[in-house]
Amino acid sequence: MIRALLCAGAVSLALIGSASAHHSTAMFEWGKEVSLQGTVKEYQWTQPHTFLWVIVQGSNGTVEEWGLEGMSPSWLGRRGWGRNTFKAGDKVSVVYYPLKDHRPGGFYVRVKGSDGQVMEALPQRGG
Amino acid sequence: MNYRVLLQSGLGVICTAALASGGGLQAVAAPAPQAGATAPASESAYAALAKLPDWSGVWDPAFMRPPPGTPRPAAPKLTPTYAAQYAQYQAKNRSTPGLNFVSDVASCVPPGVPQSMQEPYPIEFLFTPGRVTILIETDHLIRRIYTDGRPMPKDADPTYQGTSIGHWEGDTLVVETSAILPSTSPMQGISGHSDKLHLTERIHLVSPDLLAITTTRVDPAVFLEPYTTTAYYRRHRDWQMMEYVCEQNNHDALDAHGNPAFDLSHKP
Repeated sequence: MIRALLCAGAVSLALIGSASAHHSTAMFEWGKEVSLQGTVKEYQWTQPHTFLWVIVQGSNGTVEEWGLEGMSPSWLGRRGWGRNTFKAGDKVSVVYYPLKDHRPGGFYVRVKGSDGQVMEALPQRGG
Repeated sequence: MNYRVLLQSGLGVICTAALASGGGLQAVAAPAPQAGATAPASESAYAALAKLPDWSGVWDPAFMRPPPGTPRPAAPKLTPTYAAQYAQYQAKNRSTPGLNFVSDVASCVPPGVPQSMQEPYPIEFLFTPGRVTILIETDHLIRRIYTDGRPMPKDADPTYQGTSIGHWEGDTLVVETSAILPSTSPMQGISGHSDKLHLTERIHLVSPDLLAITTTRVDPAVFLEPYTTTAYYRRHRDWQMMEYVCEQNNHDALDAHGNPAFDLSHKP
């Protein structure tokens, strides 16, 4: 879960101004959507955040592991996601907000799995 | 309580039980109730719970999607010190959204009341004789609200969730809370308060599946006048409460300088 992200993502929240924050979004380029394709190494269905670890093959043959933080089981688990949503070896296409410091990581926004289904991983405006 | 008192209480129970079952022991005077002691729960006390409003199920905070027509909360009237702090928060909110949420919560230190009631994940209510218990999913927080008529303890230790007593006014639970750790936040944008912070929460159903909690904060060190906000919660009867251990896989603890960090190591 990411309390801060719930906050930052919603205009209404700034108006209500009452939610507690878990952590700052300052490390991400929040709102800047970037995508990657790769193979799932592990999907961690854990609090306070899920993590999608993806092996990405570079054009020059390099292989790099990416760490993508996501919303919590408390949020995703009530919206159709689960610990078996991804398994090792799945081919995925991930839209994420990148880390500002350019390390291979970010926050996943939506994910398209092997079956072609796109799953939204953040609250949609108004919902 | 010392061992002698424990022994006497124990004997009292044994003797009462023996008398009730027709035993021939002499009755002994029941020990005087301890301050803050919990009375034995009787059958009638359990039966009385059926008269309370139905708050069963799981309640999801509605701050992302408040009921239509919910007014924007009024600006708090703050003492100079806290007004400066709040102005700084608001300015930062405009210039660098998201950066404001830097707090120990990122390092798994839980928020205190009342902010703990506005975490993003659900809460649930348990009614037992003389007590309402609020279970907060995020960070596994527990609030025990004694409704058995006991007075507010005079010198309770300051804690994150404070010390609470409550009473029912019709279908509204009125909760009084004090002894809240001064390091906690009394509202979004304010960090810290005095040991005088006192909360009054009025909790009631506004429609069958919508609960309102109106919270009034009093602390002369922070607020020039009582500051009241209302939060809403939607009932989800088909949801289950989930486990939430913040230390399970937290990559977001603050660094040694108190700044946001992001640990990118893959921990198995």
